[in-house]
Amino acid sequence: MVSLFHPRKTSPRLERLHSLSLFVNLTPAELQIVDGLLHERHYLGGEVIFDEGEEGQAIYIVASGEVRISRHENGDGGSVAQAAGHESTLHPRRRQGDSGQLAQLGPGTFFGELALLDNSPRSAQARAVTPCQLIVFFRDDFVGLLDTHARIASKISRQLACHLGARMRNMALAVGAHQHLV
Amino acid sequence: MVWAAIIAATCLLLLVFQKMLWLVVPFLLALILYYFLYPPVRALIYRGMSRDAAASVVTLVFLALLVIVGIALMPWVARQIADWQNTVERYAEGGMRLLDASLRALEAHWATLARARLADTVAARLTQGAGSVGDHLEPIAIGIMAWTPSLLLAPFLAFFFLRDGRRFKRFLSAAVPNAFFEKTLFLLHEIDRTSRAYFQGLINLTVLDTLTLAAGLWLLGIPGPLALGLICAVLAWVPYVGSILGGLLVVLVAATDFPDAPGMAYWAVALFIGVRLLDDFVYMPLTIGKSLELHPLVTVLMIFVGGAVAGVPGLMLVLPVLGVVMVIGETIGLIVTDPRLMARHRHARALRRQQASSDL
Repeated sequence: MVSLFHPRKTSPRLERLHSLSLFVNLTPAELQIVDGLLHERHYLGGEVIFDEGEEGQAIYIVASGEVRISRHENGDGGSVAQAAGHESTLHPRRRQGDSGQLAQLGPGTFFGELALLDNSPRSAQARAVTPCQLIVFFRDDFVGLLDTHARIASKISRQLACHLGARMRNMALAVGAHQHLV
Repeated sequence: MVWAAIIAATCLLLLVFQKMLWLVVPFLLALILYYFLYPPVRALIYRGMSRDAAASVVTLVFLALLVIVGIALMPWVARQIADWQNTVERYAEGGMRLLDASLRALEAHWATLARARLADTVAARLTQGAGSVGDHLEPIAIGIMAWTPSLLLAPFLAFFFLRDGRRFKRFLSAAVPNAFFEKTLFLLHEIDRTSRAYFQGLINLTVLDTLTLAAGLWLLGIPGPLALGLICAVLAWVPYVGSILGGLLVVLVAATDFPDAPGMAYWAVALFIGVRLLDDFVYMPLTIGKSLELHPLVTVLMIFVGGAVAGVPGLMLVLPVLGVVMVIGETIGLIVTDPRLMARHRHARALRRQQASSDL
């Protein structure tokens, strides 16, 4: 009866999930529950994963391959940087219509995480650089997890919060505003 | 345009479903059972049990309860079946007596009706047209026996919905091209949400109807108020026709069990009309109507369309089918009319073709 409530089987697939930063704090039993909610997708190099401005429904975790995150510059980024008196290292000034790379992500990293938190449009485009395998976690499954397995959801949320915090710190450092983020 | 396609698809599906009721009815009952059993399954998953184990435990407990209730009711049911023909005849005669008394009361007030001998004419036509009760019981009994194996499918289907529903969703989404993947996931979620809201709304509506009718019948002193209330509430799943049948049943019981007090049958009619009004204007918008987010006018019109296209099954199926078709239609409309998504899909196909022929 006890084993009925605590499945503790592990497998190479679960071990691989455990190695991903988002799920690093989950126990094998918790990973098994999360595994039931995940989808796997394969993309070819050059294929668009999602577009900037599109309504985000899911977070993507890179299992293998490389993904480029870029933003379509329409002049706003440049004018903001000019107004602040800086040329951001993250958003160098470009011609109108240029595509600015924000990051290139490899195995174990994740992107599109804001979609788990709200319904806001995607803030950048994601495109596979090489053939890649992605693990997809749908927002409504995450919201369901908050109801049914709050402990698991809180562990994932904490990892998300850490990731967002680190990103904010990096951005602040890049624009020289780190004094506001102590 | 999208709405015309949604209504046309709903009518087409109703026509198809009407031809395969042997599968659609158990499937529908299994869906109702699925949404009825889903909360305890969810509670067990919440406590750390795996989905497979939770689905098995809940289904087994439900089947065990069904068997226990069946065994407990067996002696009563056996007595009823033995006396079935007499009981039905008694209630039919009770109804005829009430009708006769009502028509004679009308004749007493209106000379025109008396001259036309309305009561005698109606009685003669009913006797001639209806035949004996035995003639009707035989096809009903054969129908029940023919439907039983099909209906026994419902709990098994419900078990597989509970256990594998999520796998089915993953399987479906895996077959979708990358460009439409997120939209499809959202679509599947919306279909699940709409169906859940509809069927849970239906269960809530049945409970509310049963309790209200049972309370009213109990106040009137009619025997078996809870059973009668439950039968009428379940019959009401078929819009209009089910309600009329339920009302007729209550009136027959009142007229037969209180032959010297015709007022009781009129009170039963008044109660039934009151509950129907309460149902249509308060309970229904609070439960089912709210779940489908349909305009009341569209709901009523589609019920008529469903009845015209597929008869009684159409009346029963039209709202859930419309709800699901509406979500699918709106999402497909969004995908097909989005030039960027279509362009991404074409680009991905071109990349795949290029990869497949790279070493040729």
